[in-house]
Amino acid sequence: MESDDDFMSVASSADDFLDTQASDDESLGEVDFGDDFDGGFSKDKDIIATSRKPYEVDFKVLNPDDIDREQNRQINEVSSILSLPPESSAILLRYGRWNREKLIEGYMDHPEETLEEAGLGTNFEGTPKTEVVPGFVCEICCEDGDNLETYAMRCGHRFCVDCYRHYLAQKIREEGEAARIECPGDGCNMIVDSKSLSLLVTPRLKERYYTLLQRTYVDDKENLKWCPAPNCEYAVDCQVKQRDLRRIVPTVECNCKHHFCFGCTLNDHQPAPCQLVRMWLKKCEDDSETANWISANTKECPRCHSTIEKNGGCNHMTCRKCKHEFCWMCMGLWSEHGTSWYNCNRYEEKSGSEARTAQAKSRASLERYLHYYNRYANHEQSAKLDKDLFLKTEKKMTSLQSQSGLSWIEVQFLDTASQALQQCRQTLKWTYAFAYYLARNNLTEIFEDNQKDLEMAVENLSEMFEKPVPELANLKVDILDKTAYCNKRRVILLSDTAENLKNGEWSFNVDW
Amino acid sequence: MSLCINRLTEERKQWRRDHPFGFYAKPHRTPQGVLDLKRWECGIPGKAQTLWDGGLFKLDVTFPDEYPTKPPKCKFVPPLFHPNVYPSGTVCLSILNEEEAWKPAITIKQILLGIQDLLDDPNPESPAQAEAYNLFKKDRPAYEKRVRQVVKENPTL
Repeated sequence: MESDDDFMSVASSADDFLDTQASDDESLGEVDFGDDFDGGFSKDKDIIATSRKPYEVDFKVLNPDDIDREQNRQINEVSSILSLPPESSAILLRYGRWNREKLIEGYMDHPEETLEEAGLGTNFEGTPKTEVVPGFVCEICCEDGDNLETYAMRCGHRFCVDCYRHYLAQKIREEGEAARIECPGDGCNMIVDSKSLSLLVTPRLKERYYTLLQRTYVDDKENLKWCPAPNCEYAVDCQVKQRDLRRIVPTVECNCKHHFCFGCTLNDHQPAPCQLVRMWLKKCEDDSETANWISANTKECPRCHSTIEKNGGCNHMTCRKCKHEFCWMCMGLWSEHGTSWYNCNRYEEKSGSEARTAQAKSRASLERYLHYYNRYANHEQSAKLDKDLFLKTEKKMTSLQSQSGLSWIEVQFLDTASQALQQCRQTLKWTYAFAYYLARNNLTEIFEDNQKDLEMAVENLSEMFEKPVPELANLKVDILDKTAYCNKRRVILLSDTAENLKNGEWSFNVDW
Repeated sequence: MSLCINRLTEERKQWRRDHPFGFYAKPHRTPQGVLDLKRWECGIPGKAQTLWDGGLFKLDVTFPDEYPTKPPKCKFVPPLFHPNVYPSGTVCLSILNEEEAWKPAITIKQILLGIQDLLDDPNPESPAQAEAYNLFKKDRPAYEKRVRQVVKENPTL
């Protein structure tokens, strides 16, 4: 640990972002390093609280009530600007996908056309109510009773209340539609507004309707995304745009503790940008195991590069595709082999060595992919195992308490360590996918050093973490140190990659 | 369920009172002689002064229990040579699609008139069979020749 501590104090005085890390791990920092970790820490606290690391983005987590409130605020605002009833403004906003400025501008220029297109019409008088109309026959059920309650929106398409209800229930419950339910009349595109809806449907359906509306609100807004975790009802508000995703990897953390990428809603994949992640996942889906087998069992035709498996017979190969004849052993032209049919004792003939070079090149690219894939897959696998361990941690902590006399609060270090392991492995995993697409230069050297440091730290911590329970109490300080060190190495790696990404310093071996 | 039958009974009455010229539409009669209100046999004539003039095309209309909440299924028997008719004979038309323009207020009369319009005015945006679609797009004279042949095979009674 001595050398690690040395490194940290050097690094912390050199790099500002290390200070910010300390604010996250406040409790750890105090336990481990006391005052000598960073003398300026307390003075800088205010600045630290507002500054963020290069790989972090600003975001806000919204609960369902926040979303409602925000939605209503915008509706009321537009409603007062355009002096339209709120339920109509809501339809207008949904029609304009919540782009307020564009909508108001469009409305000011062509009010009637805008209303028409949004499915509103121009007559806003009166509150909706059901009526009994003498001599009325419902076009849907063909009922014509004397006391038949009927309803029509401003478009005048009148149906009996039962049919209207039935229609709305079908749309809301079966089709999950809310924002764009049209009048049941043939060819009429008038949208059923919330007031009409409230008049007609049951409270339960109404609740469902508002939930659906809330969903379309979040789906429509570019700066809002639902947290993808199962059963999570929070949404995240983040200003990172789709076009920024080449320069930023916007990982956000929901209140439910789920870390995900705001760009693509996949699990946190820093430091690799979304586009590369997509390419990588696609590649892994096609390749990996197949590629392994190909690498181990086949060679390529020196002329057409078809992959060939030799499943018996002599060394005289004839490619089934291009009819090229070659020797399986030296990959040279068969014609140069004369009559030595069953063994190849030739060495370094020109045609043979050229074929071997070409083959080596193509194999090298496969090997390169496998190099990165194996490490990627290994961290993925280890993260899963660590997760199992994480679940056992709690049990461990309990047994540790009874055996060592440590209190619950004192064994929290295991929890912290396991979380650090998870997070670091997640990062490491994606560094390999990222590295696969990087073109080599000086920056990649630094990157690989950072990667190596983090990897070593993680493996060390992982090893300690697995020790039998009685030993864990004695290892507490070591584990705490290592945890803090892992977290710091992760911050360094992510900060470095994020800054280079932001400044466009990385060069890649693919177009994306 | 009763909504479905009520409505179909009423549509049957209205159709008998008044329907567009050249069309026919009647509930299917089972071999036992029972009327099945949820399966109608219909005929759609080609419009005058179009390629389809002189033809009468037989259509099976099947109503789901959820009718009129959900649209009926319309199927030409035998399947018709037309860009928007699937090889099975099923018609691809927006007003017959629950997710698109189907509304509970649409009547059988409107459906049949809608399909008649579709005959001479195919929608190249939603092709349903390769043969008619390709000819329609790439070789109009050959397409028209085929249509005339189809009309000859299905003459007005």
